[in-house]
Amino acid sequence: MDKLAFASVATIRSLIASGEITAAEAVEFFLRRFEAHDPQLHSALEIFDKDSILAQTEACGDLIGIPGLIKDNISMNGRQLSCASKILKGFRATYDASAIQRLKANGAPLIGRANMDEFAMGSSTESSAYAKTKNPWDITRAPGGSSGGSAAAVAAGLVPWALGSDTGGSVRQPAALCGIVGMKPTYGLVSRYGLVAYGSSLDQIGIFTRSVRDNAEILSAIAGHDLRDSSSLRVDKKDYTTKLTGDLPAELRIGVVGNAVDAEGMDGEIAAAIQTAVGEFEKLGAKVKTVQIPSIDYAAAAYFIISRAEAASNLARFDGVRYGARDKKADTLTAMYTNTRHDGFGSQVKERIMVGNYVLSAGHAKEYYDHAKIARRVIRRDFLETFRDVHMLIMPTHPVPAFKLGSFEMNKLQLDLQDYFTCAMNLAGLPAIALPCGMTKGKLPIGFQLVGPHLSEGVLYQIAHAYEQQTPWKDIHPEGF
Amino acid sequence: MKISRDEVLKIARMTRVALHDNEIDPLAKQLEQVLTYAERITEITTDVEEPSNKNVNVFREDVVKRQSPEPILAQAPEEESSFFVVPAILENS
Repeated sequence: MDKLAFASVATIRSLIASGEITAAEAVEFFLRRFEAHDPQLHSALEIFDKDSILAQTEACGDLIGIPGLIKDNISMNGRQLSCASKILKGFRATYDASAIQRLKANGAPLIGRANMDEFAMGSSTESSAYAKTKNPWDITRAPGGSSGGSAAAVAAGLVPWALGSDTGGSVRQPAALCGIVGMKPTYGLVSRYGLVAYGSSLDQIGIFTRSVRDNAEILSAIAGHDLRDSSSLRVDKKDYTTKLTGDLPAELRIGVVGNAVDAEGMDGEIAAAIQTAVGEFEKLGAKVKTVQIPSIDYAAAAYFIISRAEAASNLARFDGVRYGARDKKADTLTAMYTNTRHDGFGSQVKERIMVGNYVLSAGHAKEYYDHAKIARRVIRRDFLETFRDVHMLIMPTHPVPAFKLGSFEMNKLQLDLQDYFTCAMNLAGLPAIALPCGMTKGKLPIGFQLVGPHLSEGVLYQIAHAYEQQTPWKDIHPEGF
Repeated sequence: MKISRDEVLKIARMTRVALHDNEIDPLAKQLEQVLTYAERITEITTDVEEPSNKNVNVFREDVVKRQSPEPILAQAPEEESSFFVVPAILENS
């Protein structure tokens, strides 16, 4: 049974098909993995009991017996939904998110709620009100964030796949810091219905797995048009695994984004590992050239403004009236609001929604918000123009390897800037996949991202898979798990 | 870029969040840091046209579906006969 821990989706499926194990035994196995290792990692806020898990999934489908962990900002009917915030303590979702509905219809057992930065705001998972998740490669370090619980659990072999959400890099950065695959699909490919909103024009549900093929399997289950999300694209459901041949598309031209790879503050070992990855693509037959996209140097600033502005509006609903925590001692309505929000939100959330209200306020919107919208349009245009010249782009995902827990306590801006390389794709709505490409001398994973035009997920997976077949990283796991 | 204590309190009021006195200065510093960084956005001045297929409203039929209010009301911090209860908004005369 132990070989199941790091088994692929296809392997688990064939073991079940051949009768070697039952779907219930597979679920039980992964529940025991959490029992044994999660007291140390704290990747999950809650692991459900076996009977309730099995009762909620269909008995047929491609994902029977292949459990997933769900970031705690995605609604699962009847389960708690806290966004790792005290303000939602005790709240239970009253419906399934569309992605969850599709996973259940495919037979997927959903085994728990993953820890995260409070309301998905952060890059280290340290702002969770409930637990600090550890990086399985070194438990004194952060797993990245905001979907750090999802990333840590998959990297440690506690579960084959997990869902996260990516507003500015919250799937790709933790995937890279934990040495696994993280996909942020095109904005609108996966329905946001049932995903608790942070920055609605940027948010997208994403997928963590240890291999590219597993990732494509899960996207095949959740992607496609949904009437309940007005930003959902009119795209039919499809099988994203069909192009995984091990070959690159013919005549592939890849651009390495020079001003990103050479950015100030970029770790030397990461830059070198990305260069090695570029060499692999050349060996596979791709034509590689350096391109410059200067406007992405403004992405972090534009992202700070737009995400905080949207958050200020989205988080106005947490007011102690209809659900969650409430200050019961307040004797006026205003005091009830302000005390509830003071006690319920952590400092990171308060800071972000205050920044949001500042950049939207009468005296400052012209300077900040209006310029950020212009920058967003320019960034989008520059990407699309670059894609006339090359088919795909290579960019870093993170400037430094997994950092020590608490490293940024004295400098929150540096922690916010962990989004520097990832948030441009959210602004432009582009798909991007983070892939492992090496290890530092200190045995910490290094990742990079492949970025494609809108709705190029099929080709992105094809290219990522061809690269993965040439490298050892998907079969190297943290020790002790 | 400088944020005063008064500005912090003004933004906190707009944000409907109470602040303790010892929280004001650290917040002022953090807001300053982020906003100072974000100021570089004003360097981008040449606009480009928004693609016409973006942000198009999506309509659907307005169909009434009966739903039980129970699961929603059960989550209320305080409720009474199908209403959410809040502290008094108007003073008693």
